[in-house]
Amino acid sequence: MALAKLEQLSKSVVQGPSLATGAQPAKDWMDTPAIFKEGNFAYPAKVEKVEYLNSQDGLNFPNAREWSPDEDDWKLPDGWEKTILDGIKERLDKFRSLKIFMDCCVRCGACADKCHFFLGTGDPKNMPVLRAELLRSVYRNDFTLAGKLLGKMAGGREMTIGVLKEWFMYSYQCTECRRCSVFCPYGIDTAEVTMMLRELLHLVGVGINWILEPASNSNRTGNHMGLQPHTFKDNVDFLAEDVETLTGVKINHSFNRKGAEVLFITPSADVFAEPGLYTAMGYLALFEQIGLDYTWSTYASEGGNFGLFTNNELMKKLNAKMYAEAKRLGVKYIIGGECGHMWRVVHQYMDTMNGPADFMEVPKSPITGTVFENARSSKMIHISEFTADLIKHGKIKLDPSRNAHVMPTYHDSCNPARAMGLMDEPRYILDHVVPKWVEMPENTIREQTFCCGSGTGLNTDEIMELRMRAGLPRANAVKHVIDKHDVNMLSCVCAIDRATLTSLMDYWNPGCGVCGLSELVGNALVMDNEKRAMGYGADGTESELPDGLRTMV
Amino acid sequence: MDLAEAFRNYEDKIVSQWVDYTLSSYKSSTFFKKGPDKFSNPVGGNTREALSKLYKLLTKNGDPQEFIAPLDQIMRIRSIQEFSASEAVAPIHAVKHITREILAKDSERKQFIADLYDFEFAVDLAVLAAFDLYMQCREQLYKVRIKEIKTGTHILTDSKCPSNLLKSDKDDPVNFPI
Repeated sequence: MALAKLEQLSKSVVQGPSLATGAQPAKDWMDTPAIFKEGNFAYPAKVEKVEYLNSQDGLNFPNAREWSPDEDDWKLPDGWEKTILDGIKERLDKFRSLKIFMDCCVRCGACADKCHFFLGTGDPKNMPVLRAELLRSVYRNDFTLAGKLLGKMAGGREMTIGVLKEWFMYSYQCTECRRCSVFCPYGIDTAEVTMMLRELLHLVGVGINWILEPASNSNRTGNHMGLQPHTFKDNVDFLAEDVETLTGVKINHSFNRKGAEVLFITPSADVFAEPGLYTAMGYLALFEQIGLDYTWSTYASEGGNFGLFTNNELMKKLNAKMYAEAKRLGVKYIIGGECGHMWRVVHQYMDTMNGPADFMEVPKSPITGTVFENARSSKMIHISEFTADLIKHGKIKLDPSRNAHVMPTYHDSCNPARAMGLMDEPRYILDHVVPKWVEMPENTIREQTFCCGSGTGLNTDEIMELRMRAGLPRANAVKHVIDKHDVNMLSCVCAIDRATLTSLMDYWNPGCGVCGLSELVGNALVMDNEKRAMGYGADGTESELPDGLRTMV
Repeated sequence: MDLAEAFRNYEDKIVSQWVDYTLSSYKSSTFFKKGPDKFSNPVGGNTREALSKLYKLLTKNGDPQEFIAPLDQIMRIRSIQEFSASEAVAPIHAVKHITREILAKDSERKQFIADLYDFEFAVDLAVLAAFDLYMQCREQLYKVRIKEIKTGTHILTDSKCPSNLLKSDKDDPVNFPI
């Protein structure tokens, strides 16, 4: 009798077709449609943003219109099915990796439980294998002999509006973090499958505003925020003044200076939004202390590249500013700030897309003499590589006790960790700038790191619930070190992380802050002729910079 | 032999069925049920840990205030997933039915069913607390969203940027053509 009641308990509350009814979905995945409702989709791109991008040479963003994913009619252009199939064909010919990824998956399932979206939602279509199958099924149907002959029996299906809607839902429930590909025995990069899905969707005018607006801003003024050159300069100047107020050391920085040795490019969020601006203050203090001959640029004023989240052509166009500006200014090499996806673009695509950068030199630290052979081709090094090298050679004086107010852990930002292998330098820096820090559990760090859940342009507030689900595996590991080691700060090397992990912590682990690594470097840095300001700490007592660069004076 | 001993004897079985029932509310729950590690399987791991703790509290007439920690562990997750409020909370009820069923199948212990009032009342209190937590989590979620908008991390695209204040309209030749 009791179990009969239990059954009723399930059924009486059920609202969807497959929730709370048992472990097995009642229908085959192909027969389960994507249902859009407020909160589970990011808002579509504004008409003027799409029109602007489409007006640019070499870019194709057609079908600008008012539409919404939760309406039946997506106002697709006539013949959109052919456009999509032609687009698949073009990409299969152009990208050999895509052809291999479509053919070589044996559905072993190694990736299935590795995706943070799957782990946070329990939705089978968020298993990377099934997400790729959304495209693979169409590929099979129209581009393989078995599919052409046997159709559904061979795992194929026709391109329909239902399939397109499913592509939109699940290619925007993937942050291209590439955790799944770490576990794939064939090395299938499911992130690239997502990239192809998004490219194909743009061919028929299906894209989201949170990506296309920053991308169009970036093309227009040089950075995501749409900051015009004078505003960008003003913001950096304000930060430099803040550093002077706090440390007593005047910051001598410059903009668009020809003949500088180094061009410095960082995500514009570092210049504008908390807590990233403390990271930018850390850069300013460090460069001042070592006397680096460097310049900021108001043209290449954005490290991030939202083109990566749209299509190949826009990514290339936005990225081109880095080399173009380096050439114009005549710098020897580029140092890049703490950004996530910027480093995927720089490390994996920039040289091919916009190189060779033969007008620059192999990066060589003017302070230590170290030659960064790893950047021989790209001519661009990561701030953490540069800083770790300074520490290794004893070229900067650090006082870890100045970070006594923080007990950090370190989040490996997905792209620096998995796309460029930056795992040990940040840890080496942490060892020298804080009294103590702790690692999160082994299967949540380094190459197995869990995404913040909001990367690839999904850091928009209308999908906050989705972001909290996707961020659960990361937040869960942070909670563990909070409970066990009293961690109060989540450090990272990514601007999107700095924004999104803040919200993630505010929901899952209130009280845990988020910071960039260079902020902690700036806090610990002992500067020549410094006169550090006094401030009040959390305990109400007055001391020198009790909250480091965050101290209010 | 008494009810307390019956609760202890059947603890593993009841908790196991309770966890199984709770995780069955996910579309694809096989991994959530099997994944052994709390870090690689946060939904399954936290659900198992929370319900195990809660069972001990419910069966020993514990202080209802103590229910909150394990309930928060589970409700914080279910509050932001694709559940209605009732779907999110329903599994907390389930332990009543599972316990009755298991005791009913044991001829030596089925007489204890008549003594389940205190236990079932504790479950009712836990369900009410779960509703409170569900609402707290939802409110917190919206506060996080508002905070994000207010603190300008949304500035990646929107118009609080100082340079946007300089814009007049699309036709102003000083501005860029968008």
